[in-house]
Amino acid sequence: MLDRRLPAPLTLTALAVVIGILVTTPLLINNNVFHHTLILIGIYAALAQAWNILGGFAGQISLGNAIFFGIGAYTSSLLLVRAQLSPWLGALAGMALAMVLALLIGYPVFRLAGHYLAIATIALAEIALVVFQNLEFVGGAAGISLPITRDMQGRPTDSWWMLQFNSSKLPYVYLALGVLGVVQVVATLLDRSWIGFFLRAIKNDQTAAAAIGVPVARYKLIALLISSACTALIGTFYAQYLLFVDPETVFGLSLSVLIALVAILGGAGSLWGPFLGAVVLIPLAEATRSQLGGRGTAFDLVIYGLLIMVIAVFQPAGLTGLPERFRPRQRTSVAPAAPADTQMEESLRS
Amino acid sequence: MDATIVQAVLSGALIGMIYALIAAGLSLIFGLMEIVNFAHGEFLMLAMFSSFWMWELWRLDPLASLPITAALMFGVGVLTNRLLVMRVLNAPALAQIFATFGLGLFLRASAQYLWTADFRAIQDPFLSRVAGGRIALGRDVFIGVPQLVAAVIAAVAFALLGLLIRRTRLGLALQAVAEDRSTAALMGIPAGRMFDLGWGIAAACVGIAGAVLASFYYIYPSVGVTFALLAYIIVALGGFGSITGALIAGIMVGLVEIVAPLLLGIPPAYKYALVFTLYLLVVLVRPQGLFGRY
Amino acid sequence: MSGKLSVIKQLIGLLTLALIVALAGCGGAPSAQAPASPPSATTARAPAPAPAGQAPPASIKIGVIYPLSGPQAQTGNDMKAAIELALAIINQDMGDLPFALAPGTGLPNLGGAPIEVIFGDSQARADIGQSEAERLLNQGVVALYGAYNSAVTKTASSVAERAGIPFVNGASSSPDLTERGYRWFFRTSPTDLDFSRVMFAFLKDFQERQGVTLNGVALFYEDTDFGVNSATAQKRFAEEYGVPVLGEVKYRSGSAALTGEIQQLKSFNADVLLPSSYVNDAILTVKTARELGFAPQLIIAQNAGYLDNAFLETTGADAEGILSRAAYAADITQAKDLAARIDQMYQQSHDRPLTDAPARAFTGFMALAEAINRAGSTDPEAIRAALAATDIPADQLIMPWQGIKFDEKGQNSLGQAILVQRQNGAYVTVYPFEFASSEVRFPGVAWANR
Repeated sequence: MLDRRLPAPLTLTALAVVIGILVTTPLLINNNVFHHTLILIGIYAALAQAWNILGGFAGQISLGNAIFFGIGAYTSSLLLVRAQLSPWLGALAGMALAMVLALLIGYPVFRLAGHYLAIATIALAEIALVVFQNLEFVGGAAGISLPITRDMQGRPTDSWWMLQFNSSKLPYVYLALGVLGVVQVVATLLDRSWIGFFLRAIKNDQTAAAAIGVPVARYKLIALLISSACTALIGTFYAQYLLFVDPETVFGLSLSVLIALVAILGGAGSLWGPFLGAVVLIPLAEATRSQLGGRGTAFDLVIYGLLIMVIAVFQPAGLTGLPERFRPRQRTSVAPAAPADTQMEESLRS
Repeated sequence: MDATIVQAVLSGALIGMIYALIAAGLSLIFGLMEIVNFAHGEFLMLAMFSSFWMWELWRLDPLASLPITAALMFGVGVLTNRLLVMRVLNAPALAQIFATFGLGLFLRASAQYLWTADFRAIQDPFLSRVAGGRIALGRDVFIGVPQLVAAVIAAVAFALLGLLIRRTRLGLALQAVAEDRSTAALMGIPAGRMFDLGWGIAAACVGIAGAVLASFYYIYPSVGVTFALLAYIIVALGGFGSITGALIAGIMVGLVEIVAPLLLGIPPAYKYALVFTLYLLVVLVRPQGLFGRY
Repeated sequence: MSGKLSVIKQLIGLLTLALIVALAGCGGAPSAQAPASPPSATTARAPAPAPAGQAPPASIKIGVIYPLSGPQAQTGNDMKAAIELALAIINQDMGDLPFALAPGTGLPNLGGAPIEVIFGDSQARADIGQSEAERLLNQGVVALYGAYNSAVTKTASSVAERAGIPFVNGASSSPDLTERGYRWFFRTSPTDLDFSRVMFAFLKDFQERQGVTLNGVALFYEDTDFGVNSATAQKRFAEEYGVPVLGEVKYRSGSAALTGEIQQLKSFNADVLLPSSYVNDAILTVKTARELGFAPQLIIAQNAGYLDNAFLETTGADAEGILSRAAYAADITQAKDLAARIDQMYQQSHDRPLTDAPARAFTGFMALAEAINRAGSTDPEAIRAALAATDIPADQLIMPWQGIKFDEKGQNSLGQAILVQRQNGAYVTVYPFEFASSEVRFPGVAWANR
C-alpha cells in the first residue's frame, strides 16, 4: 500500500461503497444496539489505527496505549465537571497533555526494544492506573460521573456544545465514524509520506535504517506523538458517550490489550487492518456475549478465545492477508507473513 | 519497628521465591524460542485447580499431589507446544502474542464453564496444621509454614532446573537449540522434541508453583491474572531468557512489594506501582534487564 | 495493484457480514419490538401514552445485569438464582406467601401477564455494563435491575436515565449513586453510610454494656469505589462517635499477596479491625492474618466479601467470631417465618443458603415487580410514579427492615443495617441488641488462641 499514484477509479468506487454503507445503514436500521455496536466499532477501529501508526508502521509494540486514552478521557471530563468547559475544548487540552506525556516518556522508553518495550508500556499504564485510583483530585477510585444535560423541566436533552445526545444515538454514531475517518486519513497521509517510509524502515531493521541516515529516535517519537494525540481524542469522545470515567475502565490493561488485538487481528502495518479487525472482533464480542453471556457460564469467552487462536494459526498476518490466500500463486508465497514489509523491501531495492 | 522490617524482609523474600518460580517457566520458553507465553497465568490456574480437585475428590493434600500436578502440567505444556505454538513458530511475533493470549482467554473461560466461577480454597491443608500453621521467630516475627515450605520447594525446583540445564546432556541440547535451532538440527538435535521438553518443563515449574500456592491461596478461574502480570515484569527485569535473572528479580519484586511501602511510608495501594517503577528504572540503565544478553 | 482492490472487496464483504452479526446480536429482527413498550431511547423525548384499554402484553420484560463472569461471578450467580426464585413466586400461584404478587399468576393488574427476565453479564466492568444495558433496553425491557458493583451500576443506570426507563438497584452500597440527581434511579438497599453508622453505634453500646474498653479501630480497605467509600464513611462516624482511628491501610484490590498490608495493620495494635473487601481479598486477608499471628479483639467487616458464600465455604473455622454488617442474616429465619420459607425455597433450587447479597437482590426485585403491577401499565412514566409511591410494609419483607419507601433521591429510607457474627459455622444477628438472637462472643477471632 505504498502506492504513490493516485488511487484507481475502481478503488475509489469501492471506498465510496464502504463509506456509503457506513453512512446510510445507521439511518436505515434504527436500532439502538446496532447503533451502539457501530459506535464501538468506530471507537475501537480508530484506537487500533492509532496503535497501528506506532505498532504497525514503526514496529514499536505498545501494550499501554490506554494511558493516552485515559489522559484524554480524564482531561476533558475534569474540565467539564470542574470548569464547565465544553468537551470540544477539553479534547484539545487532552490531546496536548497526551503529547506532552508522550514526549516525556518517549525518549527514555524508546531505548528499549521488543518485549522490553511492550512490558515498559504495560508498566507505565499500570502506574497511571494506580496513581489515578489514589488521587482524590481526579475523583479517585470512584471516578467521575459526567452530568446529564437537561432542559428546564429536568428532561435529558441534546447538546452539540456539550457533546451529549440523549434522544438518539445517531449523532454519536456519526461522531464515532467521523473520528475514525480523521484517524484513518491521518494514517493514510502518513503512510504515503516520507514519514511512513522512514517508520517502515525502522520497523524492518532499526540499525540499517540508522545507517542509511534515518533519524530513528526522532521518527519513533513522531509516531508516538501522532498515536497519542489520536488516542486521547478518542478517549474524550468515549468518556462523553459512557458519561463515566474511572481508572479501571480507561487505564486498564484489558483495554490496552484489546486495542492491540484489534489491530493485529485485522493486520498490523496495513492501512485497513485496524478497521477490519474492529469490524470483525467487536460485533463478535457483542454477539457472543448477548447470545451466551447471560447464562453465567462464560461460554461466550470460550468461543472468543478459540477464535482468536484459530485466526492466529491460520491467518497470522491478520485479516487483510486473506486475499493473498485465495489468489492463484504467481509469486513466491512468502507474502502472507507481512505483505507490507515485502513491498517495503521492493521499494528499498528500487 | 525493627521487628516489622525483619518480618517484612522475610515475607517479601518468601513470596518472591514463588513469583520467581512462576516466572522461571516463562523465561525458559522465551530463551528457547523467543515466544512470550501470555497464557502463563492460566497454566498457574490449571495447576491450582488440579491441586484443588485432588484434594476435593480424594482428600490428597496439595503437597502429596504436587508430583502429579507437575506431571499433568508437563503434559499441558507439551500439548500447548504441539497443538498451538509449533503452528505459529514461523509467524510474525504479533501473531504469536495473540495465539497465546487467545489460549489464556480460552482456558480461563473454559475453567469457569467446567468448574463455575466459585472461589475455592483448600481448608486446613497439612501445612497449615503443622505447628499451628506458623513459626514464631521472636516476639513479633512470624513465618507461615505453608509460605516457608513453598519457598523451600521453589528453591529446590530452581536448583534442579539449574542442574538440568547446565549439567546434563539434555540441558546442553536445550541450550544448543536456544542458541541456533538450525545448526542444532544439523548436529542431530531434534528441535521439535526440545521445544516440547522446554514447554513441558516450563509448565511443570508453574505447576509446582500452583501446587504450593494452593495451600494458602484462593482458587478461581481468573486467579492467574495478577501473578502473570508480575511474572512478565520479573522476566523482563531479570532479562528475557535468564533463569538466574528470574530468581533474583522475583525476590526483588517480593521485597519491593512488601518492604518499600513500609520504608517509604507509601500506602500499600501503590505497591505494584513501585514494582513497575523499579522495572522502568532498571531497564533505563540496562535495556536488556539485569541478566539478559540482548 | 489488484491486491488493493481485493482488500477493499474483502472489506465490503466483511462489513456486510459484521452488520448481519451485529443484528443477530440485537436479539432477533429489529422490527420485533414489544408493541406496548417502546424500548428505544426516543421514549425520553416523546413518552408514549399509556396504552390504556389496550390488550395487556403477553409478558413483562425486565433486564437484570449482574457480574456473571470474572472475579465476582460467584456472587453474581447467587444473585441470579435469587432473581429466578422471585420470578417463580411472581409468575406461579403461591397464595400462601404474604407478598403482594404471590397469589395468582403473573401481574394481576396487567391481565396476569408473567414477568420475563433477560440477564446481562457485566463481567464486573463498567463499559460492559453500558453495553448490556443498551442491549437489554433494545430487547424491550420495561425496567432495568442490577448491578452489584457500584461502577457498573453507575454506567448502566446512566443508560436508563438517558432513555427514560426506571432502574432499580438492590445491592450497590456506594452513597454517590443516589446523589447524582437521577430521576429514574431507585435503590432499596441501605448505603455504606447507614452500614458504617451501625458499626460505631455498636462499638459504643457494646463497650458500655460489657464494661470493656477498646483502644480504637484500624481501617483496612480495598482501593476501588467500594472500599474507599466505606472508609470515608467509617472515618466520618469514628469522629462523630469519638472512636480513635489508630491507622488505616488502603490496599490494591486483587493483590497477589497481602502480607505487607497485614503486617502494617498489626503494627497499629488496634483492638478492632474494620475491613472492606470483596471476597477474594477477604479470603486472603483471613489466611494471611492467621499465618502472621494478627488477631485483633474484634473484626467487624463491611459486608461484601465477608458475607459471601465463597468466603464461608473456604475459610471454614477461621471465620469463626468475625462480625459483619449486613442487611440480612440467616437467623432472621428464626424471627421471620417468611425469611425461613424463602431461604428454604432458595436452597432447594440453588443448593446454597440465602446470604446477604442474594437476599437484597430478591427484595429489590420484588419491590420493582410490585411497582410495575401497581402501575398497571408498562409505560415508563407510570412505573416511575408507582415506584416513587412504593410503600411496602415490614411483614412483606424477608429483611429486618421497617419497610420500603423511597425518598426524593430514590433511596429507601426504611432500610436498616444489622451486625452479624459468625458463631458455630453460621452468621447470627448480634446487634441491634433488640433483634439479636445471640450474645456477642468476645474476643472474637478464631485463630487468636492457637
